[in-house]
Amino acid sequence: MIEITHAIVGHQQPLIEIEDLFLKKGKVYAIIGRNGGGKSTLLNSLLGHVPLMSGNIQIDGMNVHSLRRSVLAKHVAFVASKFDGIEYLKVRDYVALGKFGSSSLMGTLQAEDIQHIEELLEELALLPLADKFTDRISDGERQLAAVARALAQDTPVLLLDEPTAFLDYKNKKRMMEKLVEIAEQKNKCIVFSSHDLALAMDNAVIFLAIHRGRLEILQQLEKENITYYFE
Amino acid sequence: MSVSKQIGWLIIGLIALIGASCAHALVGETAVSFSTMMEAIFQYDRSVIDHVLFREFRLCRTLTAILAGSSLALSGMLMQTLFNNPLAGPYILGINSGASLFVGLLLMSGISIGGAQLGIVGAALLGAFVSCIFMIGLSGYLRNQISLLLAGMMFGSFTSAILSILQQMSGAEALKAFTMWSMGTLQQVSFEELSIFASAVSTGLVLALVMGKFLNVLVLGEKPARLLGVNIVRTRVIILMAVAILAGVTTAFCGPIAFVGMAVPNLTRLIFKTQQHHLLIGMNLLFGALFVLICDTLILHWSTVLPIPLNAFTSLIGAPFVLLILMRRVR
Repeated sequence: MIEITHAIVGHQQPLIEIEDLFLKKGKVYAIIGRNGGGKSTLLNSLLGHVPLMSGNIQIDGMNVHSLRRSVLAKHVAFVASKFDGIEYLKVRDYVALGKFGSSSLMGTLQAEDIQHIEELLEELALLPLADKFTDRISDGERQLAAVARALAQDTPVLLLDEPTAFLDYKNKKRMMEKLVEIAEQKNKCIVFSSHDLALAMDNAVIFLAIHRGRLEILQQLEKENITYYFE
Repeated sequence: MSVSKQIGWLIIGLIALIGASCAHALVGETAVSFSTMMEAIFQYDRSVIDHVLFREFRLCRTLTAILAGSSLALSGMLMQTLFNNPLAGPYILGINSGASLFVGLLLMSGISIGGAQLGIVGAALLGAFVSCIFMIGLSGYLRNQISLLLAGMMFGSFTSAILSILQQMSGAEALKAFTMWSMGTLQQVSFEELSIFASAVSTGLVLALVMGKFLNVLVLGEKPARLLGVNIVRTRVIILMAVAILAGVTTAFCGPIAFVGMAVPNLTRLIFKTQQHHLLIGMNLLFGALFVLICDTLILHWSTVLPIPLNAFTSLIGAPFVLLILMRRVR
């Protein structure tokens, strides 16, 4: 799935050194570490936005930094930490934007794509909001809509930058459970950055801990070790 | 808005357009009967002077109004989505100013390029392109909507200053030609030129239609659009070309017409409450044409009592509208 080899992640100066890392389908990975440690830079490198200082990142055997945007969009979907909503853009239309790559020149969708969007709206409990404008719903509902939009892209990899940062506890919990459920049921590789360690620990995600410029993979994170990874 | 309501609006809009076109064609200093109008359109006889006059003056002006209104509204909509700014438009962001500057340079510097009208069209198009590229470049630095708006106004002031200097230095004939052009009029386009105008607007429309699905994604912002697979540079260039063609050619043939490109796209978004750009393209064509037809009909109706230039009239209506949008945003 995602394969990182001999990589130095950074922007002007090295931030994280990764010897070898292989991220599998059906699993959820949480990137943790102190502020400024390189969590967002790593996500941006996975998205092909920030080139590596050395090494390479492959998704499905293809180097992300040499792929065209339209091709990369078929392999990786991204959800930002906050979506403020757009005036006059309905939730259904917003989710349908995930099907941009497969829409016709006039923007029309095929029947199976429309059906997929309806299924996603139902799965994420967004059907009652489908005809509401995205700037008129709550932060939690908007974040779920953003996940639905990313899922509509139907990519094997889903990256999320602090998806729970602006949510209340109930919505944080719901979001975390949903991510695990999506990874297992849809066999996707989900990678997200987060500071919500307790919730991540409750949901059996695998941790990618950035500590002193190195990336460690932890199947479990012990409570007594948390401060160590934030030094 | 449901599809049936959209169709309803479309039918109402088309009926209003036909009505407004008839009213526009019939209003003027000399009265033209409805039957003469119908005969001149459907049973045109070159030997009948009323038919010739109607066709060469009235019908030409009406068709110019439709093309100018549609073209400006469409270019405004494209700019608003591209800049992610509801206050964007060819006038506010200095596209008209750029076109005016180049036309001013051409008319007042004594340079001769091709025929007079062809030269003006070329200069206005070039000016529109240059100012479009300048504003796109600035928008990379000025993310704030108000800053970009102010930059557009500053660009407008800068070009006005250069034009003032040119006006001081130019002869009476050149000054008159530029002043007449800058007031904005729909009367200068001949039937032959109308086909060039229509071809340019059609080109802009085709480009806009092709970019429709890209515009739907661009409302999310550039980074999300890129992540969905949009080639941002290519998209920007094509939209920029469409804007420059639409706004440039309209300014070239009719002179600067203020606020139509800013007000009409906001009005259509307000009515249809959608970000589906193929629908917005159609409705902007319709409402833009209606807006200019109504403005020009009123100008023609009051012309004997109070002659008002088209540019001044659209500004009188458009400026309060900008204020209204600003207040709505700030609140």
